Amino acid sequence: MPSYETFVMGVLAILGLVSMVAAILAILERDLVKAVIFSAIQSTAYAFMYYLLMAPDIALVYIPVAIGLYPAVVLFLIKKTERYEGD
Amino acid sequence: MAININSYLFTVLTLAIFMNLAISLYGIFARPSLIKKIIALTILADTANTLAIMVGYRGWPSPSQPVKPPVLTVLKPSREVIKEFASTSVDPLPQALVLTAIVIGLAVTLFLVFLTLQIYRLYGTTDVRKVAKLRG
Repeated sequence: MPSYETFVMGVLAILGLVSMVAAILAILERDLVKAVIFSAIQSTAYAFMYYLLMAPDIALVYIPVAIGLYPAVVLFLIKKTERYEGD
Repeated sequence: MAININSYLFTVLTLAIFMNLAISLYGIFARPSLIKKIIALTILADTANTLAIMVGYRGWPSPSQPVKPPVLTVLKPSREVIKEFASTSVDPLPQALVLTAIVIGLAVTLFLVFLTLQIYRLYGTTDVRKVAKLRG
């Protein structure tokens, strides 16, 4: 008998796995622009996770900061410096 | 019921969060690029915030009904209303702390971004192995 709580927990588990995969791809990616995009995907999963964990105020602050401002600032930094990591 | 599926799914979420902690620590310590270190640091800060939110989380008691928002809807609540509210609402203290931590993390990240930009202007690289080999 599935219930609302099981549904919410299942969505939370899926979001956790999605954020884990996106974090792995963001760390291992050599192109830094793609790494920033994977980091934004991971932040999107976290934003939905905050909403489901009954912290909607955190989600309202977190979406502009972590999905809008962090990638914008880091993309500005990549534009001013190097795009590819290592040699 | 031997296996509770809700606690199983919540354990999956917790393990994924701890894996994120490990991955971001690896990114901070082992990757050579300073920009990659900044990205890993933001992931680490967000993961720590999510752990703090999960500490204060509590499922609602009746699983067959949709969740009620954690607010009081009457102007002068009686004892029963307050008791029922306190038995179902989540803990607001970690949420207040996380709200502050997100803003502080934004300031720290901006500072690190301009520090990295200045390192690139002075030394011509953002690779920590090349920066460590420089003299003077």
